[in-house]
Amino acid sequence: MGGWSGPVVHDGIIYVGSRDGRVVAINASSREQQWQWPDTDALRSLVYTTPKVLGDLVYVGTYSGLVYALTIDRGAERWVYPRTGSIGAIVGTPVVVNETIYISSSDGRVYALDTTFGDFKWTWPPLAEKPLAEKLWTSPAVKGDTLYVSTFDGHIYALSAETGELLDWSFEAEAGFASSPVIDEDTIYVGSFDRHLYAVKIGSDEPMWKFPQEEPAANWFWASPIVDEGIVYAGCLDGKLYAIEAKTGEKIWEFDAESPIVSSPVLIDNLLVVTDESGTVYVFNLGAEIGDEAVPLKTISIGADVKSAFWAQEGLVYIRGEDNQLYVVDIDKGEVSWKVSLTIEE
Amino acid sequence: MGDVWNLIIANPVLNVLIALSHILGGSFGLAIIALTIIIRLISWPLTKRQLKSSKALQDMQPKIQELQKKYGKNQQKLQQEMMKLYKEAGVNPLGCLWPMLIQLPIWIALYQAIMSALAATPESLLGLAHRLYSWDVVSQAIPLSSKFLWLDLGSRGDFLLAIIVGGTMWVQQKMTQAPAVDPRQQSTSRMMLLIMPLMFGLLSLSFPAGLGLYWAVSNIIGIITQYFVTGGWGYLKFRLPFQSKQ
Repeated sequence: MGGWSGPVVHDGIIYVGSRDGRVVAINASSREQQWQWPDTDALRSLVYTTPKVLGDLVYVGTYSGLVYALTIDRGAERWVYPRTGSIGAIVGTPVVVNETIYISSSDGRVYALDTTFGDFKWTWPPLAEKPLAEKLWTSPAVKGDTLYVSTFDGHIYALSAETGELLDWSFEAEAGFASSPVIDEDTIYVGSFDRHLYAVKIGSDEPMWKFPQEEPAANWFWASPIVDEGIVYAGCLDGKLYAIEAKTGEKIWEFDAESPIVSSPVLIDNLLVVTDESGTVYVFNLGAEIGDEAVPLKTISIGADVKSAFWAQEGLVYIRGEDNQLYVVDIDKGEVSWKVSLTIEE
Repeated sequence: MGDVWNLIIANPVLNVLIALSHILGGSFGLAIIALTIIIRLISWPLTKRQLKSSKALQDMQPKIQELQKKYGKNQQKLQQEMMKLYKEAGVNPLGCLWPMLIQLPIWIALYQAIMSALAATPESLLGLAHRLYSWDVVSQAIPLSSKFLWLDLGSRGDFLLAIIVGGTMWVQQKMTQAPAVDPRQQSTSRMMLLIMPLMFGLLSLSFPAGLGLYWAVSNIIGIITQYFVTGGWGYLKFRLPFQSKQ
């Protein structure tokens, strides 16, 4: 099968979608599998979304166009949406805010569901109307009571989180947006197929800046950037990691990983963790002085390709490889601490 | 081998197709039509030779029929005499095959380009990133819309497209295929006239509609050029109900 679901760690349990179309829960201490879902092959589907945990449920969207809520203790199905049929394939990771789960779908619509029972709240546009885009593969971003959606045809739409209705402001670029939007203060940062990273002030018709400012990068900004203390960290499919001044779009430093950066960077305290497609993990110490060209504090290879989002906490990095194994990297030791296969023996 | 194929054929076809799509207002269907016209222009010297061969064969029909009557019972002698006739007229009866053979790698590249460019799955979209040139027209066109007229160009073709592909191919073949005098040859040529259109019609149902669109447009261009180069409908006879059979 395939899919590029990333892991999430909650209360010592790792939840991840496997390449054989399952959701697997692994105890991080015993390194043993707690449960796997589904039991029947008929329900297996590609999983591109990273599971989301809220309360006693773990939520996952599948490429077969279904949203599942599974119990975190046994992986039992609490609810599925829709109850009959399916919506378009789900590729963007759902967003959970205030008892609502927001899902963008390949049918070009955004859905809002109740987290407890999976009840339908709204979809925008309504089914009778033309969709927002031909397909939505990115995740929405939520700020306050507004949902921001980036589309492959180069729009950023603002929707009411309460009703889903389109708000007055939208932004249109010449090229399509490849990444999900990220919001910091009142600015949206989003990667584009025109090989630029865009910074767009909410409410403005013009981008605040585009990076790089002169020549475009050598490839797309596929992964969403992250923003911390006024600096945007963005990985590019040309293999470069950039640190950019959030206000001006000026480059602070760059690092060449020499392999495409497909996953978004993650911050743990003052450590910036980045993986590239060839499976190398780079750790940068943001507390130390960094010149024009950054030198990683640690470089660790897991020996497998990586296309999924990864999780990092308490000095450990959790990565699902394209070989369907879960790798746990110890940053201090600079090595793979342990790994476990996600393939279920039939 | 795969790298060489991508470098020389697949990637140029892919990037030209995407660039055309942007130039033509973001329509991937129009891009396929434009690419078909470009391919037909490039292969024009070969097509012209093929059409001239067809025309010469058409003009030679009375002589061939004479030979068939004369040596009908002696196949070996008939073949010898026919080859002599072809040689004298400077015609290669297999010359018609070259444009078909030349188009084969183009079909493969086009099939791959359609599948890659439309990026139906997240993996294929990500994979596309490494195959694109750094032209602005290419990056501004991505990702492409697969909708064109009633077709989804990345999905299998429908019956209407299959009928158009098969029908236009039949017309094109009918224009060039001389009627055989020998009853055995008659049934063989009738079969041949049906097999290719049927096969391509069926292929249109199992391949992406974009490829079917390429075949249909290519056939239509073939019919038009054949009409003007050979001066008419060739062996395709339109008979109105009040016209008597000649």
